[in-house]
Amino acid sequence: MEMMRSSMLLALLAAAAPGVTSAEELITRNRVGPSDAENALTFRLTAFDLYSADAATAAAFAEMFTVFIEANPGWRIDTQLQTGAIAQEQARIIEQTRAGRGPDCAMIDSSQLATFKDAGLLAPMTAFFTQEEIDDLFPFVREGVTDANGDIVALWWFTDLRVLYRDTTLVPDAPQTWAELQKAALSVANQGLEGVLFNAGRDEAAAFDWLAHFWAQGGELVDASGRPSFFEGENRDKFLNAVQFYVDLVESGAAPRRVTSLASYDDLLASAAAGSTGMFIGGNWMYGQIQNTMPAEQAANWAVSELPGPSEDTRATGTGGWTIAALTDDPAKVEICAGIARLYAGPGNAYQGLLPTSASLYAEYEAFAGPEFEVFARALENGRARPGVPIYPEISEQIQILLGNVLSGSATPEAALDAAAAEVMAAFERL
Amino acid sequence: MQREQPGRAALPWLLPSFLLLALFYLYPVFEALRLAFTDARLFDATTTLSLGSITGLWGSAPLATVLRNTLAYTLGSVLGQLALGLCIALLVVRAERARLRGTLVLRTIVLAAWVIPAIANGIIWQLLFSEAPFGAINSALRLIGLAPVAWLSDPGNAMISAILATIWQGTAYSMILLYAALRSIDQSLYEAAAIDNATGFERFWFITLPHLRPALLVNAILIMIMTLNMFDTVLALTGGGPGRATEVLSLFAYNTVFRGFELGRGAALSLLLLVISLVLTVCLTLLLPKGRK
Repeated sequence: MEMMRSSMLLALLAAAAPGVTSAEELITRNRVGPSDAENALTFRLTAFDLYSADAATAAAFAEMFTVFIEANPGWRIDTQLQTGAIAQEQARIIEQTRAGRGPDCAMIDSSQLATFKDAGLLAPMTAFFTQEEIDDLFPFVREGVTDANGDIVALWWFTDLRVLYRDTTLVPDAPQTWAELQKAALSVANQGLEGVLFNAGRDEAAAFDWLAHFWAQGGELVDASGRPSFFEGENRDKFLNAVQFYVDLVESGAAPRRVTSLASYDDLLASAAAGSTGMFIGGNWMYGQIQNTMPAEQAANWAVSELPGPSEDTRATGTGGWTIAALTDDPAKVEICAGIARLYAGPGNAYQGLLPTSASLYAEYEAFAGPEFEVFARALENGRARPGVPIYPEISEQIQILLGNVLSGSATPEAALDAAAAEVMAAFERL
Repeated sequence: MQREQPGRAALPWLLPSFLLLALFYLYPVFEALRLAFTDARLFDATTTLSLGSITGLWGSAPLATVLRNTLAYTLGSVLGQLALGLCIALLVVRAERARLRGTLVLRTIVLAAWVIPAIANGIIWQLLFSEAPFGAINSALRLIGLAPVAWLSDPGNAMISAILATIWQGTAYSMILLYAALRSIDQSLYEAAAIDNATGFERFWFITLPHLRPALLVNAILIMIMTLNMFDTVLALTGGGPGRATEVLSLFAYNTVFRGFELGRGAALSLLLLVISLVLTVCLTLLLPKGRK
């Protein structure tokens, strides 16, 4: 008892006496590095890595950040979390940066990168990457992160793509064409299940997933000058073909009409886990989710393949992902920001199994050796990024509305396209 | 000794409240008003004075659809909340007068819905209305041999679903206001009516409703303002879809600012929402009984 009392007293004294305390934690909920560091950089990040709800992921990133901050003595990273409301968060970053209160470094959704570039908010990072690193970026990525002056203004640290998932007990062979997909989905639907699911609700995911079918035919949303052109000439026919593909799936019963209420990949995963669907169009990251959420036996039944096209040799897939960019004029901070981006692009991606945007990284890390990465790498050859134009958010919004109206039977594809074109052009005039 | 004017004496006491209201309520309104007369965009530093944001709304096809949706959503939600709130309040008052147990539990259960954030309310109802084979309500319908309903994918049903979700959450507020009003009705009026052999309906129609009129109107005004401004439940439940089937004015303004980045246009839509709220409030206020001399 006496010993216990003495120990407690010692502990209290140790806690109270300056200089006797244990080493300060390097990673906290709002900071990486020592609190009294002479240089500080604010970094706005999403909640999927350093502050992930998954303890193992958070611990792995904490270790990476510890190594990083120890390699950059005198620096502290003040972390700021973004919520899941992506559009709102990105708008907030723009507004705060304009007012001089923005973060020095931030994660920016690749779909919003054009808006940031157009606003001239991003600092050039070219000096902090080697020419070899820049050349190694996939072409669509290099184009996306380069501004009008030829400067690299962000690092697109991971990409993602849309693929077709199928339960191989129901659909043994991967459908290669739209017709094959409909046939396979109908055979599943005839067994009392949902044939194929895809997002067609009011969300960017719906527009972006569908755009792969438009792009597969060589369709273009905007012309070389950035003016919307998806409703004119050959693009109009390609657009209507891609809409008709979805209409046929729904009208034939291959896809349920409820797709118009699907606006989240989680809904698709839930149906797959419940065993109520034969196929779904999802993101590459869902492969890992399937392995983690389903029992091993059930997960083993799910296979991934490239999105079917109108014909076997006409394919496309939408490529998204996140970038990290500097929003400060201080070169020292830009350099630290570039270092953080490199951390995410290399070991960060390897840990999370996300798709790097440099060819060499696939060979560098063992994590990218799985068979699914062969499928993803093949599909990436047909990858299409969103056009880097400020009118894209409006085009996406109108495609979401069009899909909902057409698939719910409220409008014909032609009338819905005319209405979408009118709205997009009105918004374009206001730019 | 000369007494100080009451108005002057009250000023120091009112000033802090006035300053807080001006800072947190009036300033945003003036800022919205200023932005509505510009072509401000979120990613465009140069802003010029313009009537374009306001005049551009005139004849806008989506706005016409959105206003129709707003009318249906507000009317359905307000009437539903008033009717259901009144029913529950009558039930609670009646149960209390009969000294039945459980009235406190009933009030607490109804109030529990009110404290749930609107965005969570939307998510809860999205799970309930899910049309997946495992969707809660449709599974229950199948169990009793009824056909599943396209709650969210059919444009007409989606609006009804959004109204139901809003009524479920807002009924508690309506119930509490009407419960207080019901408790204040003089009991002797009902005793006199009983002596005159008045039926239950006659007592409700000739005693309860006339005495509830001010509370019902005040309730209607408050619920209407809240419903007009409500966008989070709809955002989480349907996102405004399918198509624009459930896109209400507040959600349209939100989308204009946060998806289209059009600050000026979004501010003009917010002002339209403010004007609609004010006009409807004035109209309903005119129906309130005037004070007796």
